[in-house]
Amino acid sequence: MVRNVKLGKNLRSVSIVGIGATPFLNGVENPTYKGLTNGELFGHAALDAMKDAGVEPRDVQYFFHGSANPHVLNGCITPNLQVADWFGMRGKGSLSHSEGCCTGYIALEEAVFAVASGAYDIVLTGACDQGTGMPDGNTPDHMRVPLTTEVLFPDLDSIFDRAYGRYLGGGPGMNHDDWINYYAKENNLTPEQIDDILIHQAYHFRRAAALCPRAIRRKPYDELAAEAGYDNVWDYMKSPHNPKMTQYLRTSSDSCVADGAAACIVVPTEIAKEFNDKPVEVLGTGASVLDAIVPHLEKQATAEAARQVFELTGLTADDMDLLYVNDFIGSSAFLAAEEIGYLPKGEGWKYVLDGRIAFDGDKPMNTNGGRTSYGHAFGASGMADIFEAVTQMRGEAGERQIKKLPKHVFLRGFGGAQNVRALILEANF
Amino acid sequence: MSTERMKTEEFWNPEHMVEKFWNGLKDGVIYARKCKECGAIEFPPHLACNSCGYHETEWITLSGKGQLKSFVFTGVLNARLELEDRGLKYVCGEVQLDEGPSINAVILGINKKKGREIDPKLPVRVRPVFYDMGRYTTLFFELDE
Repeated sequence: MVRNVKLGKNLRSVSIVGIGATPFLNGVENPTYKGLTNGELFGHAALDAMKDAGVEPRDVQYFFHGSANPHVLNGCITPNLQVADWFGMRGKGSLSHSEGCCTGYIALEEAVFAVASGAYDIVLTGACDQGTGMPDGNTPDHMRVPLTTEVLFPDLDSIFDRAYGRYLGGGPGMNHDDWINYYAKENNLTPEQIDDILIHQAYHFRRAAALCPRAIRRKPYDELAAEAGYDNVWDYMKSPHNPKMTQYLRTSSDSCVADGAAACIVVPTEIAKEFNDKPVEVLGTGASVLDAIVPHLEKQATAEAARQVFELTGLTADDMDLLYVNDFIGSSAFLAAEEIGYLPKGEGWKYVLDGRIAFDGDKPMNTNGGRTSYGHAFGASGMADIFEAVTQMRGEAGERQIKKLPKHVFLRGFGGAQNVRALILEANF
Repeated sequence: MSTERMKTEEFWNPEHMVEKFWNGLKDGVIYARKCKECGAIEFPPHLACNSCGYHETEWITLSGKGQLKSFVFTGVLNARLELEDRGLKYVCGEVQLDEGPSINAVILGINKKKGREIDPKLPVRVRPVFYDMGRYTTLFFELDE
């Protein structure tokens, strides 16, 4: 790959002035949520974001709708026009986009471009996926059945290069464990040590999710262990209650599939305080995309995207107070933290074992619990992280509020085998 | 950039690169492209060079021999279903071909015992396996012992 991209400054600065999100939920099994549709979920998140920004639907000029897989999960390929009426934006311009599990981060990037260019002043951007279910045949949207592995697994192949990659070595196989395997060898860590690191990380992220009302898995591992008759939580986490799903990853390091939506409102920074007295400026977005046939793609793309945004902003990892990593592959969290420089090279695993990456640690990450506890509504997950980041920056995260009010937050988006984005947000108040 | 643009007539009869690659594997030939500027090998073959970003490449063939540099076993979450269905023992790993390019690849014939044996010896030599999948032939690798 050629690494010569130098990002330019946007024509005008853009800030987030409103955020909204549904809980992450199970829409096919939980009777409270069963039957909710894409339009309703996205609509609730959109109207929540508008309310937060003090605007009505009539004030919003354009919107983006992101979803990882609208065709399989919702039986549609144009979700933007199918949801617009739900939040009063009939007839306005809009765009659907789909970049796998990176969709929610790209949702912000696209909206920033739309405002930075001068084309629009008030833009809504959101993402919604209903990962637990699929349409019950050709029926109205509220009629859904559980998503089966027979449908999901073959369809997941569609994220891999169809010309070559998925039929060579670029399909499933390397994507989950390549980086952690590389890291283990690089740092002379045994499989047992890796196991300890990953269960500690999952344990601490669950502690945060337990304090996050919108998370789907909120029961702490200590409670789960006690219920299963274990005195020691670590014994429980290495037991058949938490089986290995890959060579390295146990269930606790696998994402928890969910339904959900999140959204935000962006405007030019120069007028942001007219909407919200705590606007959050989007300083920049680095981007790198590598197909799954490329060895160590996640490590490479993360490094490249981070390089771009650090170069643009003049900031370094030392300036970051909080980090979000899309960790539907659990090990990604601390590995990406090291690659970005948020944790020292070769030392990140010690920070995990010591709980320093927890919401109450000195290097906080994934304060909503991340994909393994907050849940993973595919395309919506990134926007849910942005929702949480802004909540933390405003100091509104309650019991899971990190110790130091964050001035700068870094988000590492990842998904779709694989798109990577590196965003830096700044509290502009 | 050259001033010679693609002629419309050329596009009426374009080369079918993907088809050529897969037909080559049926015949036991591994096609790749070589950058006309930097000389890097583009594998699998594409129109332009991803190593230096130059627009033009040309056909070459590869030996398919190389080194297995790292590998992982799969589990229920990331198994390759088409290989599981055939009852194959395999790992997924990084293979660097002798001509330079590195790809993620499937290496056949490695069970847990064999994996433990070769892991401390990495990198180890591999050779190509032209594997008949029924409707197409693909490229896997095996240990070259």
